[in-house]
Amino acid sequence: MKKKSLLLMLAMLLILSAFLAACSSDNAEPAETDNETETEDGTAGEAQSGGTLTYGFETAPEGLFNPAFYGIATDAEVLALFDEALITYDENLQPEPGIASWETEDNKVFTFTFEQGVMWHDGVELTVNDWVFALETIASPDYDGQRYSNVQTIEGAEAFRNGEADSISGLNVIDDYTIEITFDQARVNNLVNVWSYPMSRAQFEGIPVAEMSASEQVRTKPVGLGPFKVTNVIPGEAVEMVKFEDYWRGEPKLDGINIRVLDSSTIVGALGQGDIDMVTLAPVNAPEVEELDNVEVITAPGLTYYYIGFKLGTFNNETKEITEDKEKYADLNLRKAMAHAIDRQAWVDAFFFGYGKPIDGPVPSNHWIAADSADLETYDYDPERAKELLEEAGYVDVDGDGFVEDPNGEPFVAKFSHYATGNPTFETRAQAIVQYWQEVGINAELEMTEVNLYYEMIEKDDPAMETFFGGWGTGADPDPTALWGSDQLWNYPRFKNEESDKLLADALNVDVVGTDEELRKDLYVQWQQLVASEVPMIFIAELDEIWGLSDRVENVTFDVSGYNNPYEWSLAQ
Amino acid sequence: MLKYTIRRLIGMIPMLLLISFVVFLLAKAMPGDSLSGEIDPLNTNPQYIEEMREKLGYNDPLPVQYFNWVSGFLQGDFGKSTRYKVPVSTLLAERLPNTIFLGVTSLVITYILAFAMGIFAGRRPYTIGDNIIGGLNYLGLAIPSFIAGVFAIYFFSFNLGWIPYAGSVEVGLERGTFEYYVSRVHHVLMPAIVLGLLGTASYTQFLRNDIIENSRKDFVRTARAKGTPTSKIYNVHIMRNSIIPLITFLGFDIATLISGAIITETIFTYPGIGQLFLESVGNRDYPTLMVITMMLSTLTLVGNLVADILYGVVDPRIRLD
Repeated sequence: MKKKSLLLMLAMLLILSAFLAACSSDNAEPAETDNETETEDGTAGEAQSGGTLTYGFETAPEGLFNPAFYGIATDAEVLALFDEALITYDENLQPEPGIASWETEDNKVFTFTFEQGVMWHDGVELTVNDWVFALETIASPDYDGQRYSNVQTIEGAEAFRNGEADSISGLNVIDDYTIEITFDQARVNNLVNVWSYPMSRAQFEGIPVAEMSASEQVRTKPVGLGPFKVTNVIPGEAVEMVKFEDYWRGEPKLDGINIRVLDSSTIVGALGQGDIDMVTLAPVNAPEVEELDNVEVITAPGLTYYYIGFKLGTFNNETKEITEDKEKYADLNLRKAMAHAIDRQAWVDAFFFGYGKPIDGPVPSNHWIAADSADLETYDYDPERAKELLEEAGYVDVDGDGFVEDPNGEPFVAKFSHYATGNPTFETRAQAIVQYWQEVGINAELEMTEVNLYYEMIEKDDPAMETFFGGWGTGADPDPTALWGSDQLWNYPRFKNEESDKLLADALNVDVVGTDEELRKDLYVQWQQLVASEVPMIFIAELDEIWGLSDRVENVTFDVSGYNNPYEWSLAQ
Repeated sequence: MLKYTIRRLIGMIPMLLLISFVVFLLAKAMPGDSLSGEIDPLNTNPQYIEEMREKLGYNDPLPVQYFNWVSGFLQGDFGKSTRYKVPVSTLLAERLPNTIFLGVTSLVITYILAFAMGIFAGRRPYTIGDNIIGGLNYLGLAIPSFIAGVFAIYFFSFNLGWIPYAGSVEVGLERGTFEYYVSRVHHVLMPAIVLGLLGTASYTQFLRNDIIENSRKDFVRTARAKGTPTSKIYNVHIMRNSIIPLITFLGFDIATLISGAIITETIFTYPGIGQLFLESVGNRDYPTLMVITMMLSTLTLVGNLVADILYGVVDPRIRLD
């Protein structure tokens, strides 16, 4: 989700790389790798131990290797290997006890109990004080990361941040392994929302909060709790890790993991040569990789989706209110017609090589709150239905130019905006959407806008933005309020619906749902039905996560929450 | 000479001010800022973005922002990268050695190849050897470096396995050991050749043409008449004169050393200034972007000055005062 814009020059490179990748897959010789380290340990149990896995990255990490400070997904991928949250998530994205287990009676006061004997990589034992330290760091006014929303729900965090208190009053340390946290109010999602990565108090001792993000404890000598520890960071190109023998769940099977940064043009070739064992693939590369003998392509359900939004109103930044004052797409039948006009399956197959599928609502289908498509109003590819709907709405071709006019007889031009980066496929895939609309008689126009400007225009409700392409992701916490509430800046279509607001609020309200997950899901399903029937967006596709794994990698599995714990990974010798 | 140098150095000040103004305005004229672009709703929130804009001063009027930047710059405070969250000077210090190493290697390769081929072709103009060299050179001039880079990776890395295709050093080597330096050289070789391709071609042709031209001059005829051996005529008499224009190129190479590698570094995933520059443009990392641009501008100005001074040094007929 974080492709940033490259320059036009790179567009050429991308085309070339696709060509190159094609060449290299033909000539790919079966791996004649010289493994960096081959170790003595023989066979032990079902999985062999030893060996160093090489993990390829397509973008360089920024080097902010601390959960409290990182900004981009690439850094998070590095972090996942050497650090660990207190709470983990199962394959249904439900929280399960990890280092910490919890108890609560009212969803307001939680008691967390830590495992004893969990060690930081520097040999210091983890205590709840490290968690308090992390929470206070994030709540500090000097903190320059973006995690405060995960702390502000704790009672007293606001006062601490404003300098009115010396500590966060909601944190009550009972002993080294037990802490009681009081939130400012009972919420269903207090647990999944709260910041759950401790920070080593010993390591950061004496470093002011404002200087932490630049300190070597974050950048080159990070210390975590996870199965591997960082031994060397070569900025912009590699991170070396070795196994952490005292890892609390058990000794990792691999000797180490090396992360190497590669240009996207070399990924396929490097996989074919066996230089890298594991990599996330862009859909465009995956078909080439499938043809390699020594690499397996694995897809896992993703949590991101693409949509086409309709601008229905404007957002007032002062009052934080949405007014649905844009008339052009106010007609529900028009929106439905435009949805029926698009052949989403063909589109996904053409531009994502089949690594994805059409989606019918605002929640990826593998999330536990996702409504079954059968319960939603769906808009399958049906040009005839689209034409009927247009006619019902009063959009008919008056002047005989092949395109419909609006109900007042004025020419109707639907403007479709898509962001432009160096990626040459964006324009073609956007053009395809425009053509679908033209085929049912809507005169559509495409406008490609540079990606940074694009989102600024959407946020400011620029009149030039009428229908727009976008993508969103969902996390473990399913609450979609930030993207759909009628007082939210990121509600890009400016969809305002009291029923929707009420459903979203109810789903978080302890008095309504209590701790009943089924009840909560029910409310979200109702909400999805509402959104699907109102069509503020045409939901296009959800994408798979695609991984390339070399055949020597074993015991790596994927589900919707990501891969399994890396301490289980191993390499065939 | 000293007076001239000082005069030129003083003359640079208004030039640099003007450049800083343009750089600043151009950077600000780019749509969006470091906080805009695709948003990951799981990872951030509008309040944070609003607060950071205020903290970074993006909401101040432009003249205030410009003044803050310039005054910081003059005091040696280059600002903090908005993306990497470290002082830009730290970031540059991390990358600069890589780029300089790449640039110097590329320059050395360029000079060796250019001298060898240029002298060979110059001595035997219009023969098969000269034509082959000429043909190769025009090919080198015609192939853009990003194409050359991708093809080099394909043939030499993937097919032949001679050279690495990414990074500046092998993972897992201890800094300072012999293997470490060998690996560095191994990694820098291919990008350096690709980077030097264009330079090699123009230098070779330049040298060749100069040698041919000089070999027709009167002093060569005189030397021949005296019975000086041909090799001495070429290696001493002609060479000395033909090198003059090349030496002045050295000045310009200073800037090229650092700026020329933008594309090459990106393709070879070689973490240097060029790659950083491209990333900072893509991420609206203004502090980094502006410092690198200022650095390159300054180097170009200094390079010009060095070229002019060298010209006076190697050719006493040119008076600089």
